[in-house]
Formats: sequence, C-alpha cells, structure tokens
Amino acid sequence: MAVESRPLEQFTIERIIPIHIGSLDISYTNSALLMTIAVVLITALLVLATSRAALVPGRLQSIAELAYEFVANMVRDNVGTEGFEYFPLVFSIFMFVLFGNLLGMIPYSFTFTSHIVVTFALALAVFALVTIVAFVKHGVRFFTFFFPSGAPVVMAPILVPIEILSYLSRPVSLGIRLFANMMAGHSMMAVFAAFTVALGLFGFLPLAINVALFALEIVVTVLQAYVFTILTCLYLRDAIHLH
Amino acid sequence: MSESGPPDPLARFGERLDRARSGQAREERTPGADSAMGSALGFGLRIGIELVAALVVGVALGWVADHFLGTRPWGLILFFFLGSAAGMMNAYRAMTRLGYGGAPPRPKP
Repeated sequence: MAVESRPLEQFTIERIIPIHIGSLDISYTNSALLMTIAVVLITALLVLATSRAALVPGRLQSIAELAYEFVANMVRDNVGTEGFEYFPLVFSIFMFVLFGNLLGMIPYSFTFTSHIVVTFALALAVFALVTIVAFVKHGVRFFTFFFPSGAPVVMAPILVPIEILSYLSRPVSLGIRLFANMMAGHSMMAVFAAFTVALGLFGFLPLAINVALFALEIVVTVLQAYVFTILTCLYLRDAIHLH
Repeated sequence: MSESGPPDPLARFGERLDRARSGQAREERTPGADSAMGSALGFGLRIGIELVAALVVGVALGWVADHFLGTRPWGLILFFFLGSAAGMMNAYRAMTRLGYGGAPPRPKP
C-alpha cells in the first residue's frame, strides 16, 4: 500500500476570496483568515475578561491578567520602566505570535507563523521601530552604536562594518528563528503521521512518537512566542539606552 | 458593624500571602528534565541561527554590491568574512547576554 506523503502540503496558501487589483494579488487566503481569527480571539478574550472585572478573578480574567503580568514583567526586567511606553506594542506582538502558533496546533488548521513572509515582516516592523526609536531618542549619537566604546580608533575600519552587519542581521535572525521552529516542528509531525499510516499495524510506534512530539511542539510554540517578544524587548533596551 | 473588633484576619493576610508566594516561587525554581532539555535545544538552535543570519546578510550584501559595482568576486569575499565575524559576535552576545554596544550588563532595577 503506497501512501503519498507530502509533509509540506500543510503549508500551502489557498485563496479563499480571490482579489486581484491589476497584477497585484491581495486575495484573502487561509493565512489571512487565521490571522483574522487570532486577532478576533485576542480581542474577545481581553474584552470579555475585563468587562466583568472582579477582585477575585474568574478563569477568563485570570488568563488575561497572567498574560498581562507576564509581558509587563518581561518589559520591566529587560527594558526598564521607560519601556512601558512600548508595552502595548510588545503585548500585541506577544499575543499575536502566541495565538498564531497555538491556532496552528489545531489539526487541519494553518500556521501563519510557519511562513517566512509573515515572520520576516513582523521582524522588519520591529527592526524599523527600534531604529526609529533610537534615532528619535539619540539623534546622530545613534551612530556611536556601531563603534564599541573603549575600542582603539585604529580598529574602526574593521569593527564598524562588522557592527553594521551584526545590526542588519537582527531582523533576519528574528524572522528565521520563529519561521524555522514552526515549520520544522509541523513538518516533523506530518512525517511521523505519514509513517503511522504507512506502517499499518505497527503504526502505533510513530503514533506514540507523535504524541510526544505534539507535547514538545506546544512547548515550542509558547517558547518561540516568548523568545520573539523578549528579543523585541532587548532590542528596545538597546535603542533606549544605547550604551 | 462594630469597629472595635480586632483586624486580625486582614492583618495576617499579607504574611500568609507572602508565605504562599514564596512556596510557589520555590516550586517554580525546579524545572523538570523535559523543559530543561527543551530550553537547551532552543538555546542551541538560537545560537546556530544567530551565527548563520549574519553570514546570510553579509553574503547577500556582498553579492548585491558586486552586482552594482562590477567588482565580481571581491565584494562577496570581503563581506563573507565580515559576515562570519558579525555572526560570531552575535553568537557571543547571545551567550553572554550583553547589550549591543558591548556595554556591561545593567543591574536589574
């Protein structure tokens, strides 16, 4: 019995409502649908949780408060109290990535964070914001960023290009990390699921592995949302404090 | 409602809350073997990506510079080495958790 195994099929973008403007394809896809669901769910969670705020929180309010305190602590520890100006942004990023990752764990759904376009766009947005913040806060002094304090001036021709490259590589590593983790985990689960079908009676072995992988994957989804957010915080700290 | 009653239950509340919280903190400080392995794996992957990302950016920049300046192999070669140096710097910074400009770690407020 030959079973066709295509572990990457789950990442296909499907047009749900095709929209074409000229040569531009801005169709409403399954990726966009999942993003909409994520945003709606986040908004619903927070609105419902805070609409009947009680001193002793219920379940929903607890979730919202835990999420808030988690991100607030992250901002306070990594950026400092000045960073609370950017708290709404950091919180939105965290919830969006977290919900995108977790919604992708539902069978037959779609993980929009497994597409490098999405993660790289998010990372570029963070990168642009951080650069703008650094410029607004420090003006021309921003360029001292590219020369480590205390290094001999003779080293500048070597150090400055390296520092600039290192700075430019931040959105790349930020975007690739999230994308690679989600894509690798989901393809691995699909591969083992195909083994389960192909092995017939002995399929319980890959099935057992898949159960363990699923648990690991849930850890990875939450961890990656955390990593994305904490790196945003670290970049913000660099932009605010410079040296 | 008598105001003269001792405010005993509320006065001790903070104390009890602190005790409960310290117990919770102790529990959180002993992570299971699974999560320790997961985070080590994640950390390793992070360093790996950190190394490669700067190299990718360097090579891409070198290739683009070559394309526009017509200095075919030299830009690529130069930026390859610069990119790998930047990658190592990134990995070093990720490991030591130092800030961008090589500043000493800030004491937590």
